[in-house]
Amino acid sequence: MDASQHTSGVIYLDDPRYPPLLKEIDDPPGQLFYKGRWDGELFNSCLAVVGSRRMSDYGKEATSLLVKQISLSGVTIVSGFMYGVDAEAHSSAVEVGGKTIAVMPCGIDLVTPSYQLALYERILDTGGLIISEYEGNTAPQAWSFPRRNRIVAGLSHAVLVVEAAAESGSLITARYAGKYNRHVCAVPGSIFSEISTGTHQLIKDGARLINKSSDVLNAIGRGVTLGTNGAQTPLIKTISTLEGKILAELGVASQTSDMLCEKLLCAPVSICTTLSYMVIRGLVREEGGIYYAC
Amino acid sequence: MLAKVGSAALWGIDMVGVAVEVNVSSRGFPGFEIVGLAHKSVSESKERVKTAVMNSGYAFPTDKKVIVNLAPADLPKDGSFYDLPIAVAIIALVSNSCVPTDSLFFGELSLDGSLRRVRGALLLSMFAKENGYRKVFVPAESYEESSCVRGVKVLAFSNLREIVGYLKEGKIPKRHKMYESGEVSSREINNPDFYDILGQETAKRALEIAAAGAHNIVMVGPPGAGKTLLGRAFTSILPPLSLVESLEVTKIYSVKGLLSQHEGLIKDRPFRNPHHTISYAAFLGGGIPPRPGEVSLAHRGVLFLDEFSEFPRALIECLRQPLEDGFFQIGRSGGSYKFPCNFTLVAASNPCMCGYYGHPFKTCKCTPPQRERYRQRISGPIYDRIDIHIKVIPVSVDNLTIKTPQILTRNVDNSATIRNRIIKARDRQKNRFLGLSQLVNSEMTNEQVSRSCFLTGDADLLLKRAVVRFGLSARSYFKILKVSRTIADLADCEHLESDHIAEAIQYRTAFT
Repeated sequence: MDASQHTSGVIYLDDPRYPPLLKEIDDPPGQLFYKGRWDGELFNSCLAVVGSRRMSDYGKEATSLLVKQISLSGVTIVSGFMYGVDAEAHSSAVEVGGKTIAVMPCGIDLVTPSYQLALYERILDTGGLIISEYEGNTAPQAWSFPRRNRIVAGLSHAVLVVEAAAESGSLITARYAGKYNRHVCAVPGSIFSEISTGTHQLIKDGARLINKSSDVLNAIGRGVTLGTNGAQTPLIKTISTLEGKILAELGVASQTSDMLCEKLLCAPVSICTTLSYMVIRGLVREEGGIYYAC
Repeated sequence: MLAKVGSAALWGIDMVGVAVEVNVSSRGFPGFEIVGLAHKSVSESKERVKTAVMNSGYAFPTDKKVIVNLAPADLPKDGSFYDLPIAVAIIALVSNSCVPTDSLFFGELSLDGSLRRVRGALLLSMFAKENGYRKVFVPAESYEESSCVRGVKVLAFSNLREIVGYLKEGKIPKRHKMYESGEVSSREINNPDFYDILGQETAKRALEIAAAGAHNIVMVGPPGAGKTLLGRAFTSILPPLSLVESLEVTKIYSVKGLLSQHEGLIKDRPFRNPHHTISYAAFLGGGIPPRPGEVSLAHRGVLFLDEFSEFPRALIECLRQPLEDGFFQIGRSGGSYKFPCNFTLVAASNPCMCGYYGHPFKTCKCTPPQRERYRQRISGPIYDRIDIHIKVIPVSVDNLTIKTPQILTRNVDNSATIRNRIIKARDRQKNRFLGLSQLVNSEMTNEQVSRSCFLTGDADLLLKRAVVRFGLSARSYFKILKVSRTIADLADCEHLESDHIAEAIQYRTAFT
């Protein structure tokens, strides 16, 4: 489907619908082009989730877990639609039926990066918004990415940085957030990981350390409403002994099928077969040969 | 004075009869000429023949006009094996004796008159049998190779004097140990045993299935995960070659001159692992005249392509015909050559540019578009022709510490045990395809898949759910059925049960 087929429009600075939080910043964009259905409610409670393009498996897990829980309590997830943490944040929000806003660094009619078209469509289909301060097919420029970050920060009550290398774009967003008097939150990472140096620096500089979703919800003054894991309950009833053991192992840490064979002292045939059933039933998921509990 | 001696010329991996006609005449200017589209290596035989004949103590008619004609004259001839027929004809003319017409002569001469082995000796015996020749005269070193064919008397000599002695007095040199045809010792290859591979149980299981149904397999994993080792160990679990297959394989090795001295029938399945810098002609076959390439040398065996994604894309695309039809056809203006190459493809690749995507503790530094570009180095149609896709994850250090009591007593099958299971599974397949051209499950057409894969109710339901859950294409659907059929054969089951389908689903894709 062509990206230009969706409802679109433009909101100027003097429009009463203009997001009030964004108006507060020093240089708010004069106009906001948008795709999707404009709903003022979307801007009531926004959290920017940003991070590295070169997200690690840990970063992916962390983003997915935190965003899903935060999104379920009605917070709008704002991010920059880049691949890596941004895309993971958008898709995790969409997955649990939450709302999300993607702020583009390019003209509103361009899908950048283009291979994320499916995600773009899903954001719009679930009542989210695509916004940009540029019109038409304006190509993204090196300078338009940091400019875009000021909108991401400006729209949000808090910025959550999941993974960031030193001198990365995510730190620019965090800096804007500090400047605009918004909360800066950061997820700690491994001390050996290059893409955690930025987040660790943020924590040293006074950012909130986040290790569970309630930390973020407290920061932006939202009550904690945990409605997660409810959907899985009916399935639990029908799981076999081996499936139960596998779920217990995966609850501790994600594993390869070989590790499971060894820990559960089972033949690879039965482990592989059982994992297949479990993937089809949505009990576990697999990525790069490693199994994760859903 | 004219003498005619039978020989043959190589044409692809077959032979064509050639009559070597020699005329010695006292009229005309003295000289020695070879006619009949002889390649440089043939026309040079003039000097070798002349010196060898004289050094063996026979007279050479240097004062006469010697004309050698290789008939048919329009067929290009290559190779040094015309030395022997030419020399035999000249000696017969000079000594006024006759040459048996039911025999073929084949061999290169050394300047001292001794015979050297040349490639293609096996094909000569095959040609002799098909065309009603009773005896073949070959160099002693090619004896084992030539005598793989029953029904042809192979006479092997180490020099020209022995041959002449035999032709005149019927003397066979005693030192020859006469083997019974087809019972000649074979090469020994040192393959790693599956027992010696620590960990990687899922990958081993997938390789077992691949071997049982001759399914092509691709292993994707970070460097150091053990892909190369697994690939090498693969031949150790393959069933032995049947006699017909052995002959097919030995024939190709004979043409390429890759049989070692005194080597007979090849009994082990070949394992070829060309490097990714290989040329087209060496990989697929080619050259002037065209000769088989690596894909044909892997016939009935394994073509192992390590660092699959590093091979030039166009080269891998050329594998489409071989993977589909089991042969490779080379078209040249002079004729078309068909080389068999029915191999099992075992490919190993990294998951991405940096190699660490999916590594348990190292971080991949590639971006999603980079990973996607890396995956796209091999096209969809090629991946479609590979039935089994697996991920190979490195074994943790704890598991590599060898000689701990657990490892010595661990309950892991060795290659011989696995091989026995595979032989049984192959027997089931043989019975299923009785009277058909197919031998193994991987060669089934979609129609045969529908005919030989009976699903139980549960299995059917599971497969339907999987199709919806993973958005499988029709081709993936049939691939899962083929692999399930092999899994059921290994379990000695007539029907495909849901467990078989569930396991096959695991081997669907490796690049996610």
